Amino acid sequence: MAKKWSQLIRNWMTQKMELPPDVMMDLPRITMVGQIHIYIENHRGLLAFSDREVRLLLEQGQLLVKGKAFVIKMILPEEILLEGKIDQVIYINE
Amino acid sequence: MKNQWISGLVGIVRVKVTGKGVERFLNQLTRNEILIWNVKRHGTEAITFQIKLNDVKKVRGPARQSECKIRFIERAGGPFFLQRLWTNSGFVLGGVAFFALILFLSNMVWGIEIKGASPATEYQIRKELKEMGVKIGKPQFTIENVDVIQRELTDQVKALTWVGVELRGTTYHFQVVEKEEPEKPKIYDAQNLVATKKATIVKMFVEEGEKVVSIHDHVKPGQLLVSGLIGKEDEKQKVAARGEILGETWYKSQVELPLESTFQVFSGEEKRKFYLDISGAEIPIWGFGKHEFQEYEEELNTHQLKIFKWKTPIAVTTKTIREREEVNRSYSEKEAVKRAMDLARKDIKNQLPEDAIVKGEEILHQSINNGKVKLSILFQIIEDIAKSQPIIQGDENDGRNKNDGNSTS
Repeated sequence: MAKKWSQLIRNWMTQKMELPPDVMMDLPRITMVGQIHIYIENHRGLLAFSDREVRLLLEQGQLLVKGKAFVIKMILPEEILLEGKIDQVIYINE
Repeated sequence: MKNQWISGLVGIVRVKVTGKGVERFLNQLTRNEILIWNVKRHGTEAITFQIKLNDVKKVRGPARQSECKIRFIERAGGPFFLQRLWTNSGFVLGGVAFFALILFLSNMVWGIEIKGASPATEYQIRKELKEMGVKIGKPQFTIENVDVIQRELTDQVKALTWVGVELRGTTYHFQVVEKEEPEKPKIYDAQNLVATKKATIVKMFVEEGEKVVSIHDHVKPGQLLVSGLIGKEDEKQKVAARGEILGETWYKSQVELPLESTFQVFSGEEKRKFYLDISGAEIPIWGFGKHEFQEYEEELNTHQLKIFKWKTPIAVTTKTIREREEVNRSYSEKEAVKRAMDLARKDIKNQLPEDAIVKGEEILHQSINNGKVKLSILFQIIEDIAKSQPIIQGDENDGRNKNDGNSTS
């Protein structure tokens, strides 16, 4: 319950004070170049990796990227650069 | 993203990971600050990725904790490349040898071309060049400078007026201008022979013309010797007076010679040093150590190396150090006088035409002052004193008057 409250307050603050949401709320920042590149910041680790699917842990929930011929061009603790043909980017909230 | 060129220099290793939970293993590695790139999946259980060579040790720890097996499958980059180069050192050696050979051959003389010379002169030039060491197959840095070759050639080969020497690549080009000595047409205009100097006539040999003076006569410069007008008083004919008139002339010569003198001469001792000059930096190749000459002269000879027609910044420098000595020369009085006479004789010979004969010499005055011998010598010379002088139309009535007029002017 406490976590939800803090989330709500942060959400309210970013809206009212016009602060960048990715900084305030630990949200992922995703940059895509067409279908070929996807660059994800603020992830919390790699959950699954195959050449058709990549699953990433986020602060809240998971991020699922589907496509073909995936290669991780670079991976750092909080950043990942994925290359291939990206078909779908799906948020999974549980 | 870091620049991967640098990791390429350091060395790159491709790692193959098999087993369960490879993703967890990857997370572990990234948390340990290991840079990972090019992660690919192969089948269900295996992935490969690349890391830097210095991160290999850091991988072993997490690998032991996880359930995965790791294998290093591919090595690339700087150190591995060098290693391969070492095992295939034959290729490298071949490359270097090839380069050295090209460098050497580019600096050899491959041709000597002579243009504008007659066969006889060309042969002479080739002979002279051979003596100088300019031959096909000689390295260029053993050969003298182009300017020196040019000077030597013009000095040695008499038939040359001028020779242009040019080194184009590996070929010496010689552009020759020969002395043109056409046969002079022996056509004489009507002329008189007149004296050039004050002299006493010793011998006359007249081919044509009428003698005006005779042996033992004293003549003045410009005086008529042989007239070009022959025949009777009324109907004189004009001919070209020719002949040889030998006259006795006198020359006075002053010579001064110090009794004591010092000279700088080379003792013959020399030391040679070879340097490789790479854009200003000198690297000694041959001839180490210091010379022990107190007085010396240095001579530098630089030769720029070439690749085909381009100059390299590498030059071969030869430094020759020659020892100099001071030599004292002292003459006794008698010797000094003799030397002075020799000097005077040489001096007089330089002034005279080649066919002149020194008949006698006489010391007029001799003194020794301040360590110097002073001589004044009178030379008695026999030489041709005749000079042709054309007879100008209108003057033909009285050539003698005209010549007298000339002599005073």
